Amino acid sequence: MKPKIKNKVRKKIVVNPKIVFWGLTVFCVILIIVSYRFSDTFSSIKNVIGSIVAPMQKGINDFGDYLEDKVDHFSDMDKLIEENNALKAQIDDLKNTNQILNQEKYELSYYRDLYELDGLYDQYKKVAAKVISKDPNSYSGEFIIDKGENDGILKDMNVLAGNGLVGIITETGSNWARVRTIIDDASKVSGMFLKTSDTCIVTGDLELIDKGYINVSQISLNAQIYDNYEVVTSYISDKYLPGILIGYVSDIGVDSTKLTQQCRLTPVVDFQHIDAVLIITQLREQYDGISEVFKSDN
Amino acid sequence: MIIRGIVLLFGSFILYVLQTGLFSSFSLAGVVPDLLMILVVSVGFMRGRTKAMLAGLLCGFYIDCCYSSVIGIFPLFYIIVGNLSGFAHKIYDDDDHMTPLLLTAAGEFLYNLMYFVVFYLLQGKTNLTFYIYRIMIPRVVYTVLVSIILYKILKYTNLFLLRFDRDAE
Repeated sequence: MKPKIKNKVRKKIVVNPKIVFWGLTVFCVILIIVSYRFSDTFSSIKNVIGSIVAPMQKGINDFGDYLEDKVDHFSDMDKLIEENNALKAQIDDLKNTNQILNQEKYELSYYRDLYELDGLYDQYKKVAAKVISKDPNSYSGEFIIDKGENDGILKDMNVLAGNGLVGIITETGSNWARVRTIIDDASKVSGMFLKTSDTCIVTGDLELIDKGYINVSQISLNAQIYDNYEVVTSYISDKYLPGILIGYVSDIGVDSTKLTQQCRLTPVVDFQHIDAVLIITQLREQYDGISEVFKSDN
Repeated sequence: MIIRGIVLLFGSFILYVLQTGLFSSFSLAGVVPDLLMILVVSVGFMRGRTKAMLAGLLCGFYIDCCYSSVIGIFPLFYIIVGNLSGFAHKIYDDDDHMTPLLLTAAGEFLYNLMYFVVFYLLQGKTNLTFYIYRIMIPRVVYTVLVSIILYKILKYTNLFLLRFDRDAE
């Protein structure tokens, strides 16, 4: 019975698969060239599809988180009780320390005023967003968040998680935005050693991030740097706001050209388990404008 | 034909959303299974080359729309895999559950190889052994494991649609 039906269905379409294959291949190649050349026109099409997909992904993702939570819930029960007791003891400790720190905070803000460190990032306005989908090609280090142009997110805004730099917005739709993380192979961030103000370039690396590192290169030979120095985003970057913590360096050495130093950097953000991020709703260009106004006021 | 198109459209969309959303919570060794690959290969095995290429075109577009700066690369990958898997339609049998698994493994491997060439080799990153060991093999294994279940669902959907065609006639 079955083969007969198959033949009937097949008879309706008599196009040779070979022709279909080459036709579609040529179609795709043309599409690649056209979409590369006229990327502005195509971004509106992508935007429409993205805005349909985003809410669904959000729902599915919430469901996934819920399941993951439930699974973790059972496996970690004993561990949690133990941890809870330890944490309770820690809270008392921390309360004490907090009081001391609070006092020191006043001192710190006074010193900051003296140094005019108005670029520290706790003063930037931030928007929180959830990660709703990750790149299907396992290791390229891009993800999509559930906030977009409707929430004031624009291209090139900086993305944080906790107290460290995650990456930058590369594309936006009405209710979604794509983030390229600093561990992505295509990512290059202009950084700076907080202690010595020596500049460097922080590059993402697929191979190294597996061991928890990314690359830092182009450090001047004269720079006096040591392990565990902090790297922050630099003042000369045209996309990243200055003073955002990237990570801590190790394995310092001279690179193959013998003209600059290179090292490895451990990011402060845990990229494997990232689910919520903060977006600074201030662009680098605006930042420069504002700081100039401040200067002229003073 | 129209019903088949609609089922394919929604099916591939659901799989795409699952792949990028739900399964990223359950990633093993940092990789997610390629559900769209299972769909393309299964369509190729069950329905032949042309259908698989159309399914591949559709699946590729979903990825392109959200994750690629240019449109057309991922459809091309999936079309090539769909075309090759369609050759296996000649030996299609309802009770054969082994061939689609092997096809999925081969298709996923080929897809990753093309991905490596386009996105890494052209950027001057030549460490293929690392890429195979760290991403390709975990991905192929995970995808094949998921396809054991998913193929059954797709097969019954196909059989259901065949019955539907017969009723229509």
